[in-house]
Amino acid sequence: MSVETALVELLAAAVRIATPLFFAALGGILSERAGVFAVGLEGMMLAGAFGGVLAGHLAGSAAAGLAASVAAGVLLALLVAVATVRFGADQMVTGLAVNILAVGLTSFLLRGFAARGEAATLRVPVLAAWPVPGLAEVPVLGVVLFRQPPLTYAAVVFGVLIAVFLARTRAGLTLRAVGENPAAAFAVGVEPARVRLAAVLACGALAGLGGAVLSLQQVGTFTDAMTNGRGYIALAAIIVGRWLPGGTLLGCLLFGAADALQLRVQSLRLPVSSYVIQMTPYVVALVVLAGLGRSARLPAALGTPFRRE
Amino acid sequence: MTAAALARSFAVGGAARPLASAVLGIAVALGTAALLVLLSGRNPVVAYLALLGGAVGTPDRVAVALNKATPYLLTGAGVALCFRARIVNIGAEGQIALGGLAATWLALRLPQAPAVVLPVLCALAGAGAGAVWGGLAALVRLKRRVHEVLVTLLLNFVGVLIVGEVLHGELGEPGAGFPQSPLLPAAGWLPRLVRGTDLHVGILVAVAAVVACHLVLWRTPFGFRLRVLGASEGAARYAGIGAARATLSVMMLAGALAGVAGAIEVLGVHYRLIEGFSQGFGFAAVSIALIGGLSPLGVLPAGLFFGFLESGALAMQRAVGVPTPLVSVIQGLTMIFVLAAMALSAARARV
Repeated sequence: MSVETALVELLAAAVRIATPLFFAALGGILSERAGVFAVGLEGMMLAGAFGGVLAGHLAGSAAAGLAASVAAGVLLALLVAVATVRFGADQMVTGLAVNILAVGLTSFLLRGFAARGEAATLRVPVLAAWPVPGLAEVPVLGVVLFRQPPLTYAAVVFGVLIAVFLARTRAGLTLRAVGENPAAAFAVGVEPARVRLAAVLACGALAGLGGAVLSLQQVGTFTDAMTNGRGYIALAAIIVGRWLPGGTLLGCLLFGAADALQLRVQSLRLPVSSYVIQMTPYVVALVVLAGLGRSARLPAALGTPFRRE
Repeated sequence: MTAAALARSFAVGGAARPLASAVLGIAVALGTAALLVLLSGRNPVVAYLALLGGAVGTPDRVAVALNKATPYLLTGAGVALCFRARIVNIGAEGQIALGGLAATWLALRLPQAPAVVLPVLCALAGAGAGAVWGGLAALVRLKRRVHEVLVTLLLNFVGVLIVGEVLHGELGEPGAGFPQSPLLPAAGWLPRLVRGTDLHVGILVAVAAVVACHLVLWRTPFGFRLRVLGASEGAARYAGIGAARATLSVMMLAGALAGVAGAIEVLGVHYRLIEGFSQGFGFAAVSIALIGGLSPLGVLPAGLFFGFLESGALAMQRAVGVPTPLVSVIQGLTMIFVLAAMALSAARARV
């Protein structure tokens, strides 16, 4: 394989790996711009991955799988929303709690129906690549961008929609206002709790789709805790992208590239141990976050519950 | 609500409320889990009886439960102190991994050391490694302002991979077919507490550590600084309490406790280093600290409860086929309930 094709392959893999991160991160942007930390992304993704495979397996259709992914993500998000928005529970720790719950619930349901409690094997056909007619033949870019599976294109569409929504629509402005200064938003007649509820539920739907990318588009089955920290990497990508969809896409691509590189370097059988190489994505994330350091500016009311006085 | 308000709600609420909300939360979670068991076509009463029998039925089962509770107590107490300094520390997994690694390394280096000395030295090595890893997370948090949830999580991955790396390299057992170290010299093994059971002295270390953390929190200037920080950052600044130093110290302390837990897992349970032995402890420690009301003494019942629950769940799976991940379901649901209850009582206290 020439260096050039290897590089093109690497970039195409980076785009594939970035896709679930980007879905989850888009959800996280909506939640955090409305003022609710999205630590639960990991659990919502995992729920989505499981729901998608389960429904896809039972109904035998990818559409049913996708719908169930969204539903599973939303269900978990509802729990987050009720605890944090309605009761004002600590957002960080609630997110962690939901992640623990999601690991337990999905692993339990995967085993619960077998006689001896052994893990069931659920298989679904993975979503095949959809080459875009014409564009797929373009050298380099065709391979990297236009021979991707369907949810990857969908992620880009969602990214554009959410960017426009946040920057150009009244509802997007309201959402950001609630995340920056809920009391002021309340003063002009907005109900911050309602906006945050909607944002967190939308976050759940998108993170659920991110999980669907993992299970329905990449693997074709569900394994315990298969998200393996991707929800947290998505949180890191949001920080890298400063809570903007465009920048967050770059963050996701960066982490996707680090992961793709790691997978490829392993197959080269270099004298470096595979464990050291596997550290790459996490070390890259740490270094990038540390490098950004103090410049990152959070939405002002992120993490603070709103109470009418 | 932030971790600060979380800490404050306990300062306001006293000790009775966290206990009540934890007990109520566990009851609600057990009820919900029973519905899941029912949904999976099994009798929840039969399942819970099997769980109870597996947890406390025989001295052997009690021994297993106490061994399981040991790392929960050690890590939970450290994480509870971190909460007081407004730090959500999920780094126990990586700190246990490296603590176990350091203990293994030392035990394999000193096969001739006497039986009483070697475990102590190994535990100290574990504490040191854990403290370094916790301190590193604190430094990234303080110097670069990266949120500690992300820093500690990312360092968990790195710590676990370091263990994998050495088990495929210099500490690996040749020809084992599984990433593990050779068996440690018997001089390094923790002595049994009760003859004929698996119970080792680790539980005594853990209980002592919990009591020590309680004394640190309530009887030392350092603990006072943590409590002021938790109650109000403004007040802490006014009193001249530096958040940075307290953060670094408490993270290193929690890391050291987790490192000791790692050493105990290696020296008392596995007698060797095994890949993946630290998995899941980071999140478990946070939930136990939370359910224990963010107080070291509260961690004692919370950690013991989950130790017994886990040991019972293993027996339940064997007896009636109800899968053990039910424990995580119970843990997650209890956390959410406790968090909501805490927020409610904090809101009431404000009005």
